[in-house]
Amino acid sequence: MNVIECKDVTKNYKRKKALNSISFQIEENKITGLVGRNGAGKTTLLKIIAGYMKEDSGELQVFGESPFNNLMASANTIFIHDQMEFSPALNLKEIFEAAENFYEKWDRERSFRLLHYFSLDPKQYYKRLSKGMKSTFNMIFGLSANCTLTIFDEPTTGMDAAVRKDFYRALLKDYLDNPRTIILSSHHLNEIEDLIEDLLLIKDGKELLYMPIADLKEWAIAVIGKSNVVNEWIGNKEMIHSKDMVQDQVYVVVRNDFSKVELEKAYKAGIKFSPVSSTDLCVYLTSKTKGGIDDVFS
Amino acid sequence: MSLVNPSLIQIVKKQYVYKLRAYMDLYTRLVLSQIVAILFSLNGLGMMGARGGVFEVSVHFYSADLVVIFSILWAFITAILTTTKAIRNGDFLFVTNRVSSNLSNILFLLTASFIGAATAMMSTYLMKVIIYYFMDHHYVDTQGPMEAPLELLFGIFTTTLYLFLFCALGYLIGVLVQLYKGFIFILPAIFIGTIFLREGNTGLVTSVFKFFFMETSLPIFITKVVITSCLLFICAMGLSNRMEVNQ
Amino acid sequence: MFPNFDGTKPIYLQISEWLETEILNGNFEGDQKIYSQYQLAEILNINPATAAKGLNILAEESILYKKRGLGMFVSKAAKEMILNKRKNQKLKQLIIEIVLEAKRLNVSKVELIQMIMEEENE
Repeated sequence: MNVIECKDVTKNYKRKKALNSISFQIEENKITGLVGRNGAGKTTLLKIIAGYMKEDSGELQVFGESPFNNLMASANTIFIHDQMEFSPALNLKEIFEAAENFYEKWDRERSFRLLHYFSLDPKQYYKRLSKGMKSTFNMIFGLSANCTLTIFDEPTTGMDAAVRKDFYRALLKDYLDNPRTIILSSHHLNEIEDLIEDLLLIKDGKELLYMPIADLKEWAIAVIGKSNVVNEWIGNKEMIHSKDMVQDQVYVVVRNDFSKVELEKAYKAGIKFSPVSSTDLCVYLTSKTKGGIDDVFS
Repeated sequence: MSLVNPSLIQIVKKQYVYKLRAYMDLYTRLVLSQIVAILFSLNGLGMMGARGGVFEVSVHFYSADLVVIFSILWAFITAILTTTKAIRNGDFLFVTNRVSSNLSNILFLLTASFIGAATAMMSTYLMKVIIYYFMDHHYVDTQGPMEAPLELLFGIFTTTLYLFLFCALGYLIGVLVQLYKGFIFILPAIFIGTIFLREGNTGLVTSVFKFFFMETSLPIFITKVVITSCLLFICAMGLSNRMEVNQ
Repeated sequence: MFPNFDGTKPIYLQISEWLETEILNGNFEGDQKIYSQYQLAEILNINPATAAKGLNILAEESILYKKRGLGMFVSKAAKEMILNKRKNQKLKQLIIEIVLEAKRLNVSKVELIQMIMEEENE
């Protein structure tokens, strides 16, 4: 069953087209990575899913209903982001008590064990926490709520490397104990690529790539060789990325959908192939120009 | 997939309980504003004196009206504060929609009005105690709370209604300002403008004041306040129901 | 013991290769139960779906077999199959590359065979 169905959703925000006719579905009990550059529309999308905002056009459904002003969707969704501001009158323990009251599946034992592990004092007030500690607390809040749809928007901002690692491990363990639909947004794909099942890559408010992360590494390939040979062999295929190298050699990234005959021809022409890492591929796909920063200096 | 499906009433109840605790610092503001009002009031409203041979009699008048006025101001500001981003977005950290958020705010403001009214009425007794012990007055003419319990309850009740009315007004103004920041300047300008339009007893502010504060019949007064507050809150809810959560 | 994932190869392939090596090293015998997808996810810190994909590759090649409700087990002939597979695939790939490189370097067939034989005699 699909937890989220998004069809042609468009949203203007701050005088900009934040989402531009984006469509996708997210299935139940999967961890999906939402990746895109800053300003690609990740947060706007998540805010619409969480019922914070309403789409201008198109249709977005969570659990089969529109999430805007929807108590059922709100009760089954938790949205963790770095703008969360809990009441300054409550200490961490009291925030947890309030949360337990609202979220029926709240795991009290786990919440306090995590608090203890990350050396957060339950009597501490939220407003007195440092930025990194706030992120850590928000993360614990999100994991303990056990919501059917759990959304983390850039959860590791401000966390140090050790806490980051612990967080991803905690997320995985919690997911294994209690499978649920999780969306994890990040601009560092390398941090989350082992953890996620599907990747949703967005650019300029539109879905660019949506596939199992396992298939991504075979989706594209780098071709290296003499520029005229490579260009002739590639023909009119779309270049995802290209870079000039020494001695008239080029490095070109293209879709990996060649026939066996084509590949053999390439081997014979002395063209070399090299796999492209998922992180690099995402950078190439989301960059504004084919040559990246090099184009500025050429 | 097992989904939780709470009712609106359940959530409003939970939010109400949460708000009573989470907005604690609003009560400290109430206590502060009432203490300031008491200090001002201790100056007295007026004095009457008579002298005859070796005797000298002086009569001082004190009133707790100022405490009520300060409490009304507090209620008005509290209502505006409940519509600000920090508090509005706070609901979205837990289970909510815009209707439940507004309803629990209204319940919270009603409770705040009651607390404000109760402490304002009680402050009369506090003032008398202060005057008796610290101001070197020999006789304080008064009725204790136990002598006239009905009068006290009646006072609390009507003051609650006044505070609630101003909460409703503050809430609507708060929502308007959230929708369009320009109202911060426009609304006070309109208000002051209307006061300075000297129309004597027929001016808008004067007639509104008369409509609510000069009413002598209790049932009519209750009806006026309840209906006006409801209208103000309904407007505020209607306007805020499409509002998005922006950080 | 655990594989260090290399950034360019799909993780599920690295998992299946790692499991093959475990079987070759004798850490798993024939008819012995192998890790479940959840155990693998936990051990290797990866998504369980990715782990399942790694296991399924081996199941498709009959190196593992499924017992309903019990999980995946190592086939009796697993070791042999893995050896054959590596011979046919890895070695063949290497040879293709050697031949290609030899052509580029103008090394003749005879010379190439001689080099291989010399290498083996050492």
